[in-house]
Amino acid sequence: MMAQGFRLIGESTPRMDGIAKVTGQEVYSSDIHFPNMLHARVLKSPYPHARVKRIDVSEAEKLGAIVVTYREVPDVVYCPRLVSTPEATYKDWRVLTGRPLYVGDPIAAVAAESEEMAQRALEAIDVEFEVLEPSFDPLDSMRPEKTSIHERIMYMGKEIKIENNIACTMEIEQGDVEKGFSEADVVLEREYRTNRRYHCQLEPKTAVVRPEPDGGVTIWTTTQSIHNTRLLIHEIFGIPAGKINVVKTALGGAFGSSIQTNIVVPIAVALALKAHKPVRLAYTREEDLHEHCSYQMIFNLKLGAKRDGKLTAGSLEAILDIGAHQIQAYPLLGCLVGWWVSLYKLPNLRYVGKAVYTNKVPSCAMRGFGNPQITWAVESMMDELAEELGIDPVEFKLLNHVGLGDLFWGQGPTVKSIIKSSGVEEIVRRGAKLIGWDKRPKPGEQRGRYRRGIGFGRGFHTSSAGGPVPGTAVDYTGAMLKVNEDGSFDYITALMDCGGGTLTAHAKIIAEEIGVPLECINIVRSDTQTTLYDVCTHASRGVYAGGMAALQVAREVKRKLLELAARVLDAYPHALKIRPDEERSQGVIYVEGVEGREITIGELASMARHKNWGTIAAVASVRQGSCPPHFTAYFVEVEVDTETGKVRPIRVVAGADVGSVINPKLAEGQIHGGFAMGWSMAILEDTPYDPENGDLMNRGFINNYKLPTPADLVPPDRFTVFFANTYEPTGPLGAKGIGEGALNPVAGAVANAIYNAIGIRFYELPITPIKILKALREREGG
Amino acid sequence: MYINKLNTHIIPFKFEYHAPKSVEEAVELLSRYGEEASILAGGTDLLVKMKQRVIEPKHIIDIKRIKDLTGIREEEDGIHIGAATKLRTLERSKLIEEKLPVLHEAVITMGSVQIRNMATIGGNLCNASPSADAATPLLALNAEAKIVGSEGERIIPLEEFFIGPGKTALKPDEMLAEVISPYLPENAGTSFMKIGWTDFDIATVNLAVILKLEGEVVDECRIALGGCAPTPIRVHKAEEFLRGKKLTDEVLEEAANIVSGHVRPRARWRRAPPEYRRAVSRALTIDALTIARKRIEGLEVNRGED
Repeated sequence: MMAQGFRLIGESTPRMDGIAKVTGQEVYSSDIHFPNMLHARVLKSPYPHARVKRIDVSEAEKLGAIVVTYREVPDVVYCPRLVSTPEATYKDWRVLTGRPLYVGDPIAAVAAESEEMAQRALEAIDVEFEVLEPSFDPLDSMRPEKTSIHERIMYMGKEIKIENNIACTMEIEQGDVEKGFSEADVVLEREYRTNRRYHCQLEPKTAVVRPEPDGGVTIWTTTQSIHNTRLLIHEIFGIPAGKINVVKTALGGAFGSSIQTNIVVPIAVALALKAHKPVRLAYTREEDLHEHCSYQMIFNLKLGAKRDGKLTAGSLEAILDIGAHQIQAYPLLGCLVGWWVSLYKLPNLRYVGKAVYTNKVPSCAMRGFGNPQITWAVESMMDELAEELGIDPVEFKLLNHVGLGDLFWGQGPTVKSIIKSSGVEEIVRRGAKLIGWDKRPKPGEQRGRYRRGIGFGRGFHTSSAGGPVPGTAVDYTGAMLKVNEDGSFDYITALMDCGGGTLTAHAKIIAEEIGVPLECINIVRSDTQTTLYDVCTHASRGVYAGGMAALQVAREVKRKLLELAARVLDAYPHALKIRPDEERSQGVIYVEGVEGREITIGELASMARHKNWGTIAAVASVRQGSCPPHFTAYFVEVEVDTETGKVRPIRVVAGADVGSVINPKLAEGQIHGGFAMGWSMAILEDTPYDPENGDLMNRGFINNYKLPTPADLVPPDRFTVFFANTYEPTGPLGAKGIGEGALNPVAGAVANAIYNAIGIRFYELPITPIKILKALREREGG
Repeated sequence: MYINKLNTHIIPFKFEYHAPKSVEEAVELLSRYGEEASILAGGTDLLVKMKQRVIEPKHIIDIKRIKDLTGIREEEDGIHIGAATKLRTLERSKLIEEKLPVLHEAVITMGSVQIRNMATIGGNLCNASPSADAATPLLALNAEAKIVGSEGERIIPLEEFFIGPGKTALKPDEMLAEVISPYLPENAGTSFMKIGWTDFDIATVNLAVILKLEGEVVDECRIALGGCAPTPIRVHKAEEFLRGKKLTDEVLEEAANIVSGHVRPRARWRRAPPEYRRAVSRALTIDALTIARKRIEGLEVNRGED
């Protein structure tokens, strides 16, 4: 069923923060300034694995700087991400450390009157290190003779021992895998290795902390969750939660890198408490590149299918290189199996996931949370398997896909629900037709320098981490809506807009539901003290989960408006309707069929004030009872230059089932952005390490971390985006998420297109020109 | 503790800033401060190096206000380009586009518009990156460098200007004042080719070709290669090989082999291994010669666009 009869939903409307952003007037964390504010810099470990033997900060203090070292911060071991319940949370972080575990690990911090003075003070700190043996590869790290990266960490309030640098594991088995493989006519087993990508969000991590006279702190920071930031600062510093106020500040993108509270926040809090002055800590791009990256994964994937195309069994061994700390390794092990089994039906399956510590930058969620990685491997193998079986990949995938009415593992084994809307068939069939799938070349049959190929990849992501039972993921949100005396509305939510236009979507849902012009809705700049709890803007939940709370308060406010209007208009509430009056920028409440019996919401709200009826308002804390998948399908045509190995995108057809489309232009934008990110994941991005010094090969310099420019991508006239006609019954006005599904299948589609063009499969990302040329030459030679 | 110094945001060390109004004044400052001084033109390379602490000059000599160092002039011996002329100026110059198309073709690939609005031709040459995109076309053009110093003026071929990665023939009290490019031979065809990982990227390999035919036979050919040796180089052996030959497929292949034979691996090559640079320099040679020939014939050049 398709969304119908909407006034605003499905129409492209400008985002409400658009003008402020494009004119440079939006205020981001690093724009926050106060009189007497100090600027902070962080002293980082130059070694990937070491112990501080001696630290002397006296010279830095002589320069007038405030200094804190690992000895002065609270002795609290924590996990910076508070999305999961304690059962799924392992703690191995300290604010500053005397036992650095990667190049860039913070040891001490200084604050001074300018960044330059802080930098000079930082360089005056004298540290002596004992250098320890590092591990840069998870397979190496797991060898018993390797030095422990963490001997002990905290779990559920107790110390636990870490063996062989394995941070955590998960195993799941269903059915009889051996029997399943023995029934298969074709079995494929391959090893896949992904890249380690940097989020490259526009805004580097920043915190501004102002100590308050009551002993509390006010915080402006790059975060996807103001409430979890508050909870963590409470946990580390013991300041009563009510005295910690985290202010919602515009976020210059995150892509998952601020799901956890960034390390700049507790460091800035420690400095501000010591200095008794506001402190600003804004990371440089180089520091940001040493702060977070995606999870690099090694998969051993095995799938079996019968001649008729039915999958019989699958097994997946996943080794995750998580870097030096756990941010959400255990929840990821769960999500990873969830993504895997929710792509295609596997009657028998076995999964072993291991998260392994290495002496590298800590990995965290990055758009798709492991889904782009496993979907690349599965979509590559399904393409290969289809060829072995002699079945068209489109048909093979449709035959086996998890769809309408099937059990969906959403966010892993503890978050299961039934799929209630699916546009998979529609987007795949229509996409295939639009790209000319039937006319695509046979793999490897082309000659000549430039060879073109078409690849297909499909996938999904959850919308939120909601579910029918609690599970190990916290997922609920809150909203408040009040009617102002002029008929406008104040909408208050803690939910962060990471840049996708999420809050504009909420405003549209409210305006649609009540029946007022969009500009009536005012999105309040709020903070933790004045909002209900929201877990985090992640898991493509901003519209699906946050929008549901907005819808509920809109319904409640509408009910109250009609009740009051019924008194004034001498009519029954159920006989009243609200229509938008664009000229007056107002909603008008009227009695259907009786002319002249009407009142604007402004008149009503004003009357409510004079008659002391009170404020017309509603508040709701809402959890979604499922996390429905939004589906995407990509058909990508590429051209490979067999003399240089360079790959160029020629055409893209992308179909998406996101339920009701709230704002088509922004939704299309998500697809374009998802493609750019996926394209880059497929052919370009990686953060390799220099084994000699254990630092990033690019040393954090963005000029050696390449991202595609518009000229490297596909012009809009060769990029087709379309949406499925679906309606998600559990979503706000039928909507699901989009942010992560927009990315997940891209790398698989690109890899399959490269195969289609040159007949060579690659099992390691990124598929660089160097690798392509080498493979082509080896094939010629062999 | 290098990690605590590396960033592209803060310059914590002190330096003195000088803004001379004339070349004489600039040279005087240079001879006074010698190796403690750095010349600031566009700053797109210098400031990055200062922030990265690769260099910590005590004196910055800003030459942007010296009028004599900017501008493009047509003279009898060729086109004179002031060292402080911005890349964006070259990009927008009809004269450069018409008379030195191979340079124009290179300039438009350099960085983004924002970078080209700041960066200067002299800065690109004096930075002496082995893959400097302005260097290869100018080498192929037989350009010369006009150098001024406390002992006066000297003009040297650009080929003698580059002596190593980041190293030029400039003495501490000297500066590049002008680049002089002779005009192209009549009816010459040119081409600039470049491979980087993305559109704004610095070249992994770049190559410039100037070709003149006599009938179907090569009368003169000049080939310059970047990103394949400690400096951008001319590949004279390939040029000599081509002279007097018809550009058959076999001849193109052989010329390409000679060019790729000039790839001299450097220890610090992290972007791409020598095999890759060899393969690409080979491909670019064939491409560039083919395109240059097409241009002589007035044919449209299609680079795989549809």
